[in-house]
Amino acid sequence: MPVVPQGFALGEMLAVLLARDMADGEKAIVGTNSDIQVAACNLARARHAPHLWWVSGPGGMTNPTEGIVRPAADAENIAVAQAVMDLPQMIDFIDWQVHFFDFAILGALQTDRFGNINTVCVGDHAKPKLRGPGTVGISALCGLSKRFYIMMTRHDRGAFVPKVDFVCGAGHMSGGSSRTDAGLPEGGPRLVVTPLGVFDFEPASKAMRVHSLHEGVTIEEVRDNTGFDLVVPDSIQRTSPPDAEELFVLRRAVDTTGVLAAKFPWPKAN
Amino acid sequence: MTTSMTTSAKIKSLGDVLAVVESGMTVGIGGWIFHGQPMALIRGLIAKGVRDLTLVPAPGSIAPDMLIGAGCVKETACVFISFEHLGLAPNFRRAAQSGAVKVLEMDGPGIAGGLRAGACDLPYGLIPDLGTDLPKVNPQGYRKARVQEGSRPLLEVPAIKPDVLLLHGQQADEEGNVQYFGAGYFDLLMAQASKHVICSVDRIVPTSTVRQSARLTKIPSAFVDTIVVTPFGAHPGCSPGLYDQDEAHLKAYVAASRDQKSFDAYLDTHARGGEAAYRERIGAAALAGLTAGDGGNRGAAS
Repeated sequence: MPVVPQGFALGEMLAVLLARDMADGEKAIVGTNSDIQVAACNLARARHAPHLWWVSGPGGMTNPTEGIVRPAADAENIAVAQAVMDLPQMIDFIDWQVHFFDFAILGALQTDRFGNINTVCVGDHAKPKLRGPGTVGISALCGLSKRFYIMMTRHDRGAFVPKVDFVCGAGHMSGGSSRTDAGLPEGGPRLVVTPLGVFDFEPASKAMRVHSLHEGVTIEEVRDNTGFDLVVPDSIQRTSPPDAEELFVLRRAVDTTGVLAAKFPWPKAN
Repeated sequence: MTTSMTTSAKIKSLGDVLAVVESGMTVGIGGWIFHGQPMALIRGLIAKGVRDLTLVPAPGSIAPDMLIGAGCVKETACVFISFEHLGLAPNFRRAAQSGAVKVLEMDGPGIAGGLRAGACDLPYGLIPDLGTDLPKVNPQGYRKARVQEGSRPLLEVPAIKPDVLLLHGQQADEEGNVQYFGAGYFDLLMAQASKHVICSVDRIVPTSTVRQSARLTKIPSAFVDTIVVTPFGAHPGCSPGLYDQDEAHLKAYVAASRDQKSFDAYLDTHARGGEAAYRERIGAAALAGLTAGDGGNRGAAS
């Protein structure tokens, strides 16, 4: 991993990259342990997408905004929300309805060449090497939202594997048209953001492709840290780093207490 | 108020509310991760020494983890069991990796569909087949449903009807109306699906207080069998609006969970001596430091 000397933290950069891809009027859902997701949604609302609607999956608060990044389930969000819904009602559009959400942003223990997600276990499920937390709503959000983002705070061969050990969120499944062939709605992962770069999916094969590399990152380094062959375009773009205005709004309006910088610094050099 | 409290049929001691819980039962647990975990009830079950439970926790943390670490659990449903920023749930992780506890892998749609079927007295619920590996590892929990040509592929999830449900709310009146200052999560749906509902609350208030802010009543009395008053009964998790989670204690818990011997010592000290001794050990200063100054008012204002 690179030591990145820029004047922003990994968490701040990921929030900025995600926010840029959100559009005005879209609907999104945020899970429990989701500081970067909360910041990204509120940053988009503060800049170019004032009518983005997001809801706390567990807590039901909509568009809580007070300039402090709080865990999405916390009661403190109630006082700064526009509405508070109850989970037994929300499950209708979270777990059943097709394409209610424009997007969700999900982390993972592992992801693979086709953007499938695993948060359940590493190794065999019956006798796992690592027991993860479980699936919660990831299956439904990957399966039913119009698109999703994969947000990884580490990029190495443990996290980027040829095939996930357990599919708890279907991405492009085994590539090509396999996702819709299985009866899932159109959708799947759109971007993968990591400490090394931004990745998308080649339209026909649906295989993960290099979109842009962050400042100071080489393609060799990405290959060394990815457990499968990425599609590499002829010319590789450089990720546009967060600019001064984005960082100003993020720090002065969205994350005024510096949660992202404190919790998501850049990984240390190997 | 004291007189009416003592005449309430629903408000009982910790020992009395837990008398219905027997080894081998299916026990639901409410709350959400570190929010509203019914820890006094969990500690009470560990002190009581029940065994071979099947757990159905809503996405949780220390409540299922502590019961598993105490050897009370034969199998557990796992929708999500996590210590969030503090890492993976240590005792759950150890038991799952060694095979000591059988894990019934589930997801949000599975528990939502199963609880709704349970609440509606239907044999199973229907959920979309989302292309996951869940049916492979939990074939009883996810069965391919017969659908009409051209329909979305669906799965049947059997009704979930816990024998006993453990919940934690912030306050209740003597009739058993339970009020929440934060979100209700799956708690009401679980209560509708469960055969017997035990709710711990941090405090009892007059019924006039409940009526002043009836919107805070998430579990109406018809869904509550018994109530136990346990101040700081969600500690070391948070009781939304009343006190925050105790980060220092949670970190100490994770450290104590490094091996079984060390965790047994934690349980002896913290779980087997009763709630008064537990609060004494945590200490008034530490507990006061967790309380939210205007929590109750903020909740009421919403």
